[in-house]
This record gives sequence, structure tokens and C-alpha cells, in this order.
Amino acid sequence: MSRHRMKTVSYDDDFDDDGYDSPEPEEQEFLEQCTKEVLGQLRSGEPSVTATRDEVQEALWHYYNDVEKSVNYLRGKKAKEIQKKQTPPATAKPKVPAYPIPPPTTSPQIAHFSAAEFFRDSPWLNVPPHRKADILVEPLYPRMGLLGGAPESGGKVSKLAALAAARKKKEGEKTPAEATPAVATLSADKTPETPAAEAKPSPLSLRERLAANDKPRKPSNGISTLRSLGKGSPAPSPLKKSRPEPAKPEVPTEPGPEEPVENGQADHKEKEEPEVNIRAPPSGFASTIVGDSTRPMMTEPSHLHSNTADLIRIYGQDLTEPFDFAGPSPDDVVVNAQSSAKGFKSKQPAAKSAGDKKAQGDLAGGMGNLSVAEKVNVKSKNLDVLSEYKKSNRKKSANFVVIGHVDAGKSTLMGRLLADLKAVDQRTLEKYKREAEKIGKGSFALAWVLDQGTEERARGVTIDIATNKFETEKTAFTIVDAPGHRDFVPNMIAGASQADFAVLVIDSSTGKFESGLKGQTKEHALLVRSMGVQKIIVAVNKMDSVQWDKERFDEIEQQVSSFLTAAGFQPKNIAFVPCSGIQGDNITRRSEDPNVSWYTGRTLVDELETSERYSHALDKPLRMTIADVFRGSVQNPLSISGRVEAGSLQVGDELLTMPSGEKATIRSLEVDGDVSDWAVAGQNVVLNLANIDPVHLRSGDVICHSSSPIRNITSFTTKVLAFEHLMPSMVDIHRGRLHVPGRISKLVATLDKGSGAPVKKNPKIVAPGSVARIVVEMDQGVPLEAPTRVVLRAGGETVAAGLLE
Amino acid sequence: MDRRRINGPPSGTRPAVFASSIKSASGAATERPKRQRQSNELRKIFLKTGIIPTASGSSYVEFEPSASLAAARSSPQSLIPPSSSLKLACTVHGPKPLPRSATFSPNIVLTTHVKYAPFAARKRKGHIRDTSERDLGVHLETALRGVIVAERWPKSGLDITITVLEAEDNRWWGDAADSHDASWGMMNVLAGCITAASAAIADARIDCLDLVAGGVAALVSDESTKDEEGPKLKLDTDPAEHRSIQSACVVAYMPGRDEITELWLKGDSSKASLGDGDQRAGHEALIDGAVDAARGAHTVLAEAVKESAERFIRQAMG
Repeated sequence: MSRHRMKTVSYDDDFDDDGYDSPEPEEQEFLEQCTKEVLGQLRSGEPSVTATRDEVQEALWHYYNDVEKSVNYLRGKKAKEIQKKQTPPATAKPKVPAYPIPPPTTSPQIAHFSAAEFFRDSPWLNVPPHRKADILVEPLYPRMGLLGGAPESGGKVSKLAALAAARKKKEGEKTPAEATPAVATLSADKTPETPAAEAKPSPLSLRERLAANDKPRKPSNGISTLRSLGKGSPAPSPLKKSRPEPAKPEVPTEPGPEEPVENGQADHKEKEEPEVNIRAPPSGFASTIVGDSTRPMMTEPSHLHSNTADLIRIYGQDLTEPFDFAGPSPDDVVVNAQSSAKGFKSKQPAAKSAGDKKAQGDLAGGMGNLSVAEKVNVKSKNLDVLSEYKKSNRKKSANFVVIGHVDAGKSTLMGRLLADLKAVDQRTLEKYKREAEKIGKGSFALAWVLDQGTEERARGVTIDIATNKFETEKTAFTIVDAPGHRDFVPNMIAGASQADFAVLVIDSSTGKFESGLKGQTKEHALLVRSMGVQKIIVAVNKMDSVQWDKERFDEIEQQVSSFLTAAGFQPKNIAFVPCSGIQGDNITRRSEDPNVSWYTGRTLVDELETSERYSHALDKPLRMTIADVFRGSVQNPLSISGRVEAGSLQVGDELLTMPSGEKATIRSLEVDGDVSDWAVAGQNVVLNLANIDPVHLRSGDVICHSSSPIRNITSFTTKVLAFEHLMPSMVDIHRGRLHVPGRISKLVATLDKGSGAPVKKNPKIVAPGSVARIVVEMDQGVPLEAPTRVVLRAGGETVAAGLLE
Repeated sequence: MDRRRINGPPSGTRPAVFASSIKSASGAATERPKRQRQSNELRKIFLKTGIIPTASGSSYVEFEPSASLAAARSSPQSLIPPSSSLKLACTVHGPKPLPRSATFSPNIVLTTHVKYAPFAARKRKGHIRDTSERDLGVHLETALRGVIVAERWPKSGLDITITVLEAEDNRWWGDAADSHDASWGMMNVLAGCITAASAAIADARIDCLDLVAGGVAALVSDESTKDEEGPKLKLDTDPAEHRSIQSACVVAYMPGRDEITELWLKGDSSKASLGDGDQRAGHEALIDGAVDAARGAHTVLAEAVKESAERFIRQAMG
């Protein structure tokens, strides 16, 4: 049949008016023939109807020239028209599709809703107001009976459609009887069914479906299904769709999209009612939380209601009055009451023995004044320390720290120095020599001059810093012998912080120099530089073990100087001396060994003496880090030692120790072992203190004047040179003796080495060798102030050194 | 720990209740509470949002106590409550920036914590989340992940914390644990958690596809059910009211889209006596029932969210 509809698509053709179809003569002839046939059948059929030619031809076109179907269609259509004219309301009834089961005659031809079409004349985002409404897209239900063609009475209607038709018919009968819409609630389940409700053919609920085995034919009593609670639910759940088709009368037929026209009102009520009802009023507990005012107004009395305490209301009340500061404070009131009560009590016995009263009062007063520690009053001479210092013609003094890799011979070298300068008497030296030989460590005898601890002597390594003094004609020197072992680097930092310049001892023997350069030689040099030491003397030790080989010396000199220059020492501040600590060559005296004739430079002592006078901040506020706390003698039960870093002090001064914040008085003081009345920055002093408990003093604490105290801080910004990768992590902060745990909390910026300008802000990581500004936080308050040099260590390694900002 | 003496249990205990003492004051033996609702009737729900001012979103949910519990509360016969009703509070913090240490995430990072208050259940809970609480958290996360429009907040985190103040019982307290016993109460708690979290998320004004609601349905067999017929489907079961629950199902359901984001089915759902002509398999009926329960909860949820929105508008207006 489709051949009749074939369009002859030819570009040469002239299209006629409608531009759609240009029927060929033979087709037209066939159409004519069919039309006649249809018209004849329509007239002769049971309900005789008339139809126009156009109508017939259209129907034929739709039904592909199938005469029988066209006749059926037209007859049905005309019959309806007649019926409509006769009984208009009867035709208003639309068809009720059975839902959710699609009829088997489903046609794929569905009018699709096109959003693009709908919004065609609405420009983007400029929707005309009359369009701004809820867009309810009608569900795409199959249009029943449109293309059915077959008569409705025919056997082609599915069971389901028949069922729907029957239901509709029944509904139609009962609708007039429905006087009032059924109002039912979920809770009204138990109420007897009203006739109206019974008449109401509302959808069966799930419950009824469930209860069907008990009372299968119990009609609905008007409770809406829970399923209908979901308003605007567009489609049944996928699970529902896949359900096998139940072809029984109990099939739940939910109201289709067209149905609300007739029972919309009732339906609406049903939907509303349970929605309100499933909301519960707050329980007593809940209303204390959410407040009474927010309780929804339920007409229905609830067992949950009780005389609730409304916390919100209680807390909301302004029960407290603002305090009037004009009157006495509550504490004052209590104290007054207590004191009056005491007075009352003390009055009672006073009535008996009036004589006791005065004595008791005196006693109470006396007890208040009594203190366990007797106050020592030290008279200050109120000296002008600076002018005294100028007047005094002291020898210039210098501190130097001896650094180097472990076993480089630092202590031995210094022991030799002290022995040769007669700072240690011969007898003591002999004694050390004997004792050292006894335990088989003869070569350590000189080191014992400085290594006083038993453990240090037994192990043959320096553990803690040792200070000793010696004088030449021009200068008074203080040696700070630092430990070389890497486990004791914190002690070395403490020593280096006291030094004006450094003596780097290098083991020149084969292999030792190389290992030292990798080890502590490098780290120590970097540390002393970052502690602010400018000048360094490199003592190339143990030259006797390489037969005073000049090439070896040159090689070491070349390697070490290149490294030290890289570390930031200026070439003019680096000096090299070949020497031998154990033999004493080139230390105080020139070597007589013919092999050393190539060296014409200065000896170590001469080199030390060339160091210029160091200026110290004398006029700044007093700062001194405690190096050691000890019991000096019976007269001086509490003494501290250290180097005055800045400012000056004198006997009788009241000092403040930080971080404890306790006060103390200087009973007396010693400068470089001599009793003195005053001391200035740069001097090594021993302070004998009074009026303080030793628990408040620890090595690493800072001494200052109470007039200009140092503050305890918990975080600081510092500009550091990174030796390792820096990340926000835990570090130990070293400053002289002081070392506290802390953490890098923020990497502020990496800085340009030359200009100090920020290169990258908030870096994730700081590479070794770069300069960065970081923020360090500590758990406890630590007396630090700018500019102080600090060293950051982590995991036994120095990670960075820097200057506080 | 002192080993020389007999130590008490590490946590608090309830006084032992002996069978002989299970007599009420009137002399009648204490009986299992009976379900007085229809099988498809839900308990009423109280839902309120915005209870915690410091959180970006919060909600409080409680179920109406069952008739027997309400009666026991008004005129107590025994110290032991016959059943319990769910109470829980939900807080939502976020969207907030992820910590710097966290890796980049193009979507919102959802964290859910469900914690029972120590006193929430008959057996005291510890202060550290146990496996069942973590399990609930995971279920809740799945339920919510499908709802939140996650790609709208890259590099953000959303913390959802639920405190269960009163949990549902797993069975009637007088029953011994039997073969059908499982943590049925947990499923009711999860349904409440989903509804509460949904309300709190809406209160925090975080974009969602729909308001997701939780619902529970169960196949239960009671004294009334005959042996030959299988368990019956009940919506919103209170486990204390039933002799044995054969299987239960909790869903997180979005009515607007007709989608399920979370489905948790537990137990044996092969046998079920549904209505005549109801050809559905047991699990289908269960899921449908749970969806129906969720639809019911959704109505309350929608109301609460509407109130929340009105409150917000009032705040915005002044």
C-alpha cells in the first residue's frame, strides 16, 4: 500500500500549492474508487452517517486506503458527534487509561513535548512573564483509541482497557451520588467507613494490596496511598514498571493525568491531609532544644505535651544584671566578711583575757613579716661602669673557640699551648702524663688539661666545652674547647656563641683530613660562621705524622680555604699554621725540624695575638647567657658563670633571670678569675648571687636588668641559611647554651642571597644553601630578641642557622 | 589495672533483670509492645532545622514514640522502657577549604560521622566510634554522595556529624537473641540519619539534586502470623514490636527524580506473604515499601526545609 504514498521526488517537478503530494492519475483514480466505496458503506451501515468527501479522503490517507478501517473510524467519529449534540455532558468524559500498565496496542506515535519548541519565541534568559509558571509536562501516555480503527465493541480491546472502561462507567454512575468529598486521614483508618467514602473509588493503597489476602474485596475507605504522597512523582519506580501485569480487578489504577478533572478536589484533600499529619509535634526533650515558640501549632492534643522547660527561653532571659563597679567587688565583699568574722572570733577570747589581745595582734603582724629566707642587702657602689672601664688599662682580651673534627687533636693542641705558656704547671702535667700512661692513653695527657671530666678522660673525647685562660704579653685569652664529636654539636654551639674568633684544627694525616672535611670540620666551620665569628685560624695539626710535607699542607690549605671562602669567611681573615700539638712545633716556638724550614709564617700564638681588639656593645642593656650554675664556695652558695654579651653590671645590681622572671642580687663578681666590682660586655664573669632560689636558674637562661628586661617569646621570625631542606617541621632551637624544642610553622619567603629581597613567597620547601625567612614557634616562652643568632637542628643535624628579626 | 582483686567491667552496666522479676506493678507479666499502627502507617516525625547556630547547617529528628512507649512514659509500670524512639541531631560544617596538606580534589570531600551518645542504646557505647557506627557513616556517605552536586565545590570539604541521642532497639529487651536477630535498629537509625542529614544539608544551603529521604520497611512474622504464611510487609517497623524480623530494607530515595541513592537490604526476603495477586518478589515488595516510607518522610522533610528557607528569608530581610 505504501507505494501509493511514494513521493516522486524530482527537482524538475513543479510542486503544487501544498507542495506535498502530487498524485498520479492512476493513484487518484484508486482514491476515487475507495472514497465511493467508503461513502456507500457509511450510508448503508448500521448507524447511517454521512461524511464529506474530504473527510473520507483524509481518513483513507491515514489508513493507507484501507476501506474497512476508514469506515470504522468515520462511523465512530460521526456517531460521537451526533451523541455530543444529543447529550453534551456525556461526551465530556475522557478516556481513563489504565495505569501504570501500558496497553498492548501501544503505538510509538506520541506527540513529543519539545522544550525547544516551547521556548522558541523566548530569548535566552528573557522569558516573558506570562511564561514564568510551573511547567507541567504532561506525561506521555499512549493515546488510546485514536488509531485503533477497530470498533470499540470489537474483540481487539485488551482486558485492561475493558477493565478501565468498566471502572469508568461505574464511576460515572456513582459520581452524582457523591455529595461531599471524602475527608480521610491516616489516623482515621479505624473509623467506620462513610457511604460517601465507600462510594469514592479512590486508588487502592499499598496496605490494601498487602491486606488483600485477609479481606481481598474490602473496598477502599478513602485513604490515599502513600504512593500518592509523592506529589508530582513523574513516573512509577523502575521496579514497578518491571512488575508482571496483574490482570485482576484489584489492579491498582492510580489516577491518570486526566482524571483529576473530575475528582481533583477530593484527591487534593487526600494528598494534603496525611502530609500534615505525619509531622509530629516536638517531644518534651525536643522542645527544650528547639524552643517552645517553634513548636508547630497542632490542634490535635498530644501526649507528648507536658509542662516543658524551654531552655532557649531560660537562656534567653537576661537574668544577670550588669555589675556596678562603683561598689565593692564580690571578692571584696567576701574578704570583708571574713575579716569581720575573724575580728569577731578574736574578740571572743579577748573578752576573757584582754592582755592576750595585743600580743596576738603583734604575732599576726610579725608572722606576716617573717620570711624563711633572709634577705641579703648588698650595697651597690653605683659606679659608672663605662667610665671605670675606660679608666682601667686592661690587657685586651679575646675568646676563641677551638673547633674541628673529632680526634683532630683540639684538646691536645690547646693543652700544649697552655703547657708551653706555663698556664699549667709542670707538676700537674707530669701527673696527667702518669695517669694517662696508666690507662694506656699516653698521647692524651695534654688533652687532660682541658678534658677534666672522668668520662671525657676515659673515652678520650671532649664532651662538654671547657674554658681555660692564658695570657701573653699583650692579650688575655680565653680558650673555649669545643667537642668535635657529632653527638655533642649542641655543646659546640654553646661554645661558639661565646667566641670572638675560631681556631679550626685539622688533622693532616692521610685519610683523616678527608674524613674530617666531610664530617664536623665542615659543619663546625659553617656553624661558627653563622654564629657570627668572622676570623678563623686553621691549625693544620699532626704535621709530624706526614713528615711536614709541604705539598700536603698546600693541598689542605687550598681545599680548606676554598671551602671557608664559600662558607662566607673573607680570605684576609683566614690564616693557616702547620703545627704539631703533641710535639709543640709551631705553637709557641718555631719548629727546629729541618723539614719545616719551608714554613716562615707565624706560630699559632703569634697568629692569635694578631687578632684585633673586639668591640662589644657596652652601652646596650645587659644581656648575659648563663653558661653554668654552680656552688662556688661556702660564702657564695650560688654562682653562675658566663660571658657578658652586652651592657655592663656591677656588684649590688638587681638582676632578672629569664624565662623564670625571678629577681636576684649580685653579691660579688669575678672577672676572669679576679674579684672585681664591675664587668662589661665581652668579659667572662662569675656572678655570686643572692636572694634567689637555684631552681630558677638553669644554664641557657638569660640575665638582664629589671629596668630593661628581655621578653619571653613563643614565636619569632628569622632569616636563616638553610643547610638542609627546610619544611614546616619540628626543630631544636639553639642559642648558646639555650636549646628548646620548637617547630618551623611557616616558610615566609626565600630570599636573594645578595640583596635579601624576597624571591619566592610561601615556598613549600627551602633548598639547602638558600636563604629564607621563616617563622619558628616554640611551646614555652624563651628569652630571645633580635638580633640574636640561632641555630636550628633536627634529627642530630644542623638544618639552618640564622639571625632573629 | 589491679590484678589482685576482681575488677568491675570497664564500662557502665545496667542492673540485671531476672525473668522472675519481669512483672509489672499490677502483677501482669511484661509483654512485648504491640504495633498499633497499620502496616503502612508511618510513625510521625518531628524534624527541625537550624538548631545549632554555630554550624552551617543542622537538624534534629525524632520519631514519635510508639503507643506502648508513650503509655509507659505517662504511667510507668517498670523501670525498663518497652521500646525506644529515635532521636538524633545532625550538624553540617562546610563547605570549607580543605587543609593545605590535603591532595587536590575536584569535588567536594564528604566526611560523615555517625556517633551514638553513650546513653543512646540499652548497651552503653564507648567514646570511640565502633564498627557499627563507622558502618552507618559509610552508608550515610553513599546515600548523600549521589545527592550533593559535588563538582560545584572543588577543593572543599563537607563534614556531616550525626549524634544519635536515642537509638532504636534491635529487638525487644525481653527477647533472647535468636537466629533472625540482627542489628535491625541500625537500619531505622540510618533512615533517620539520611533524612536528618538531608535537612541539614538543605539548611546549610548546599546544592542538591533533590531532598533525599530515608525509609525503612521490613518483613516481619509475629504471633499473629500463621506458620504456613510468610512474613508480612510492614513499613517503618519498630523492632521492639515484632517477634522476629525476617528481613528489612532501608533506602535513600529522591522522590523528585524517582531515584534510589542507597539501598541496604538485610535478612532473608525470599518468603513473603503479600496480598493476593501481588506477584512481586519479597525483596521487590520490601524495596517498594521502603520507598513508600521514604516518600512519607519526604513530606516532613519538605515542610522542614520550607520552614528553614522561610527562616533564612526572614533573617535576610532583617
